[in-house]
Amino acid sequence: MTVFVSGGAKNGKSSFAQDLAVKLAKGGKHYYVATMIPSDEEDRERIRKHLADREGLGFETIECGRNILSCLDKAEKDATFLLDSVTALLMNELFPNPADGKMDTDAAWRCAEDLVTFAQSVRNAVFVSDYIYSDAACYDETTEVYRAGLAAIDRRLVAACDTVVEAAAGNFIVHKGEALL
Amino acid sequence: MVLIIGGAYQGKLDYAKVVFFIEDNEIFACDGAEIDFSRRCIYRIEEFTLACVRENIDPTEYFRSHRERWKDSILICQDIFCGVVPLGEEMRAWRQATGRLCRYLSGEAAQVSRLFCGLEQRLK
Repeated sequence: MTVFVSGGAKNGKSSFAQDLAVKLAKGGKHYYVATMIPSDEEDRERIRKHLADREGLGFETIECGRNILSCLDKAEKDATFLLDSVTALLMNELFPNPADGKMDTDAAWRCAEDLVTFAQSVRNAVFVSDYIYSDAACYDETTEVYRAGLAAIDRRLVAACDTVVEAAAGNFIVHKGEALL
Repeated sequence: MVLIIGGAYQGKLDYAKVVFFIEDNEIFACDGAEIDFSRRCIYRIEEFTLACVRENIDPTEYFRSHRERWKDSILICQDIFCGVVPLGEEMRAWRQATGRLCRYLSGEAAQVSRLFCGLEQRLK
């Protein structure tokens, strides 16, 4: 079973995805694939909050900010994987060396291919992304490359996943597949 | 009339092309405060509303006054009105004008669809 979860910030995506991954695991092995590479205290605080949220849910955490298929080398594939988030993964892949600010323009295409392969390689996968496409702003070119790239990954994953859920203020709209919770 | 809304890069035009058999030469992509309603599909209406704000035109009035010309059209607009209130006055006016126009067009539409990551959600 493969599930794609997206929606606005703080709308309940991660909690929903965690509960769902635990349910899909049915008592079996379940991994939390953390893709964010913390760069400041705000990031570290967010990670602490997510860790506290997951306490007692039995996840084994794998940190993997780039080259996402490499995390399968250290894991049992016949298990449930929660990947949080596609957004952070693309950010890391788009800027291989954050210090020089240079963009890898193949990053989105590569992430999309890798994530579909990831979904096909494991028993259950739950992907969390962010819906960042509906606001009144004119962004700079770099931000537009990022938004277009993330949307391309999202659409590729949505086409490949069994179930697609959008979180909206703690409510969940099922766009594809079955309502699972 | 069919109204298609959704965020940036969500597949609104791809959906319209596939479902309503729209050819490239039937699409008018807005880039100013005038619309060529002779084309069957009017795309990037959010660019039209932005130009209207800059030229002090009410986009909803514009549509209302040309109603006969788009009543059988496919209209596509990005839902730029979902994010936080922007700090800049022009962006705020744009956000509100686009929201009001979409509400008017939704009322007039036979079908309203929202695109989410390439999937259609039928709103009306």
